[in-house]
Amino acid sequence: MDGVKRFVVLLLLAVVACTNERPLPTVSTADDLKKPQEGGTIVRRLQGDIATLNPVMAQSVNDRQVDFYLHTPMVHFDAGLQPIPGLAEKWDISADGKLYTFHLNPNATFSDGSNVTAGDVLFTLKKIVDPQTEAPQIAGAFDQLDLRSTHVIDAHTIAIGFKDGISPQLAHFNDLLVIPEHVYSRGDFKIDFTSKVVGCGPYRLVRRVPGQEILLERRPEYWGPRPNLQRVLFKVVADDVTAWNAMKRGEIDETIITTDTWLAEGRRSELQKFIDFRRFYTLNYNYIAWNNRDPILGDKRLRRALAMCIDLKSIIENVYHGTARAMNGPFTPDQWAYNPDVPVIEYNPQEALRTLHSLGWLDTNHDGLLDKGKKPLKLEMLITAGSLASNPFAQLFQAELKKIGIELDVVPLDFATLIQRVLAGNYQCAYLSWNLDPDPDPFALFHSSQFPPRGQNLVFYSNPEADKLLEAGRREFDQTRRKAIYQQLHALLAADQPYTWTLQVSSKWAINMRIRDVKESKGWGLFQWFPGELGWWIPIDQRTHDVPPRRR
Amino acid sequence: MTAYVVRRLLYAVLTFIGITIAVFALVHAVPGDPVTFYIGAHSAHNLSQASLDAIRHEYHLDEPLVAQYLYWFRGVLRLDFGTSLVDHRYVTTRILEKLPNSFELNGIAFLIAAAIGVPIGLWSATRSGRPIERASSVFFFLLYSLPSFWVALLLMELFSVKLGLLPTFGMTSDEYLDLSAGQKLVDHARHLILPVITLSYAQIAIFARFTKSALTEVIRQDYITTARAKGVAPQIVLWRHAFRNALIPLITLLGLTIPSLLSVGVITEQIFQWDGIGKLFFASILTRDYPTVLGLTVVTAVVTLIASLLADILYAMADPRVRLEETAA
Repeated sequence: MDGVKRFVVLLLLAVVACTNERPLPTVSTADDLKKPQEGGTIVRRLQGDIATLNPVMAQSVNDRQVDFYLHTPMVHFDAGLQPIPGLAEKWDISADGKLYTFHLNPNATFSDGSNVTAGDVLFTLKKIVDPQTEAPQIAGAFDQLDLRSTHVIDAHTIAIGFKDGISPQLAHFNDLLVIPEHVYSRGDFKIDFTSKVVGCGPYRLVRRVPGQEILLERRPEYWGPRPNLQRVLFKVVADDVTAWNAMKRGEIDETIITTDTWLAEGRRSELQKFIDFRRFYTLNYNYIAWNNRDPILGDKRLRRALAMCIDLKSIIENVYHGTARAMNGPFTPDQWAYNPDVPVIEYNPQEALRTLHSLGWLDTNHDGLLDKGKKPLKLEMLITAGSLASNPFAQLFQAELKKIGIELDVVPLDFATLIQRVLAGNYQCAYLSWNLDPDPDPFALFHSSQFPPRGQNLVFYSNPEADKLLEAGRREFDQTRRKAIYQQLHALLAADQPYTWTLQVSSKWAINMRIRDVKESKGWGLFQWFPGELGWWIPIDQRTHDVPPRRR
Repeated sequence: MTAYVVRRLLYAVLTFIGITIAVFALVHAVPGDPVTFYIGAHSAHNLSQASLDAIRHEYHLDEPLVAQYLYWFRGVLRLDFGTSLVDHRYVTTRILEKLPNSFELNGIAFLIAAAIGVPIGLWSATRSGRPIERASSVFFFLLYSLPSFWVALLLMELFSVKLGLLPTFGMTSDEYLDLSAGQKLVDHARHLILPVITLSYAQIAIFARFTKSALTEVIRQDYITTARAKGVAPQIVLWRHAFRNALIPLITLLGLTIPSLLSVGVITEQIFQWDGIGKLFFASILTRDYPTVLGLTVVTAVVTLIASLLADILYAMADPRVRLEETAA
């Protein structure tokens, strides 16, 4: 069978060589295979179709994956998620933090050949903050933009003003993907650019087949550091099982995989021969949101006692088989704001029970439930229905609480319903998760001015001391001093337990080994930092997706 | 006959209006609106309230439900389902882009199911009660009860991962555009095989059982015995005397099968990444793209209505009693 296959392949190659003008890859020496080579096609998976190729209207992570090739952001992140030059060569921030002056790379061009100018930057900013654009996510990142003090200085210099000078703003310039005014000012901004694009990034669009695929090609005249891969083919594969099957067949080169797949297939030797299994932590965490306004949960001693009933070690071992880690507060170990001295709350139900007794919760009527003033201690926790993370956690927590006489009612809800109840403050506790921004500023989550709908302080936490630290943290532009502030805040929030931070579950990926130099950043995994996916390459003898027509 | 058709059409229009009300109410009864989707999908920095308000306003989400319905229904009458919340394109355009793909997949599955299922049904009717027929009926019941998502994954595991014979997903290969017309056809056909099997295996079972029971019923009747007693050849009795009457319940089945193919298609299209309306449906529900979900539901409802209307008319054509009774009533 193998012999026959090889013969067929050879025959096909011969046919191709005769009919196709493209030369076949030449045989290379072993040395060539160790250093990055140009050329080759990678087949990447999109977990769903993109909404649009218009970067200002981008909604999902899928849109961002594609946009990263087509546009060079104003500011890139390096592997430590620190801002580094992108489209902007350098920048200055005024002493009050309200005025950012960006110097654009003078060589930068769009894929239609025109120069990138400061006027294009201004045009893009105006589109972003225009409510009619209906791009609430990116518009939120530029909420404080002050168009009156924003002005073009010269063709490659722009001053961008803000109503408020805050240090997290700089990181949001990573979201600013500049588009040419002379293209995007014509036609209907919202619908005319869903399948065509002009950007200043290292790749240009060859074609988009909505719902199926997007093909990008390297721009030969790109003004910045040139990436290696000649073509990037995105295939839309929404289903995880299908994607994993396609991965095993080599039809796609990378995919995220579930913990179950990781555990069941990650150790199979025939797969380890060609699939690189990767696991790393990204900027997200799971937590229990305690409604701080609730008459019972308003007491931080009680919240801490409840936290003591979570057996994180056992959950990490038994539910995630060691592929998760415990959290101690609002920052993850990958963030510079992290305070390593804050302990993770130890599992100790006896101590929790003593605390509850001291707070007056006793089982006076001997029904097995703690009570106070004739009211039993009953709590309701909302979880997302069908969520793989929430269900086992909620059940284990429920069982632990029952042991010390607390009844936890677990209510699975559709996410939209859940979030509506949480935003309205109509809940006791909920098991949720956050995806964090690269800048660690948690102002929107914990400042007392940020109760919904204004901000995302879903737990209605209010502590003047925390407010002061949160304000100081975003006013300070020096990272060493900011770090000191955030470490203090970290300790304070861990003590107050507005949330009980539980776990970080690692992100698991499978990458075909023909893709080389796949590196991880501190918190953003494989993608969207520099060089990230732009540094990948494929050895010349492994260009399996480059010889059309190909038979499988 | 005309009066009968007109009456059926009137019922269909009334049903259609009822469907739009029910669908609209159902979709809006699901908690959360498209704006809550934005809140769920994004990270820990704040959203722009001005943009959210602009969205609510554009999609009339800030108005009472009845007003929203009227806006929408006025559009539906002009085949305008509004614009998608995801990419702001017209829902009608989005659906029309995907509809041919679904019709292709479902049409082929339907034809194959009928072409295999009906003859099997006829065959088993002539062997009713024999061990071989009993065995085959058990087999078809088993086949019918296999869940399609499971069968789909098994097929994929076997034919594409293990044996490497067929592609895992999609409608064409990466190099499709570089192929000649003949190669394109072969490439596309190879991508069709697994989804078509997934869609048709249960339908084959239904067709086979339905044909068999319809025919068995007819065979028992006196006029068949009479025909046989007259000495007509068994084949002719079966085809000329029995089959035409057995067709009548089959017509109803056709009316029921087409819509069910569309709904099973949601799962099949999702698994094999077939770019039809099923896949669009799935994605739209996840993103709470109201206009698209509503548009697709109405389209599916209309297809169902047309299918059952056609079945009614065919029924009347095949069986004079139906139209006569209607006229008498």
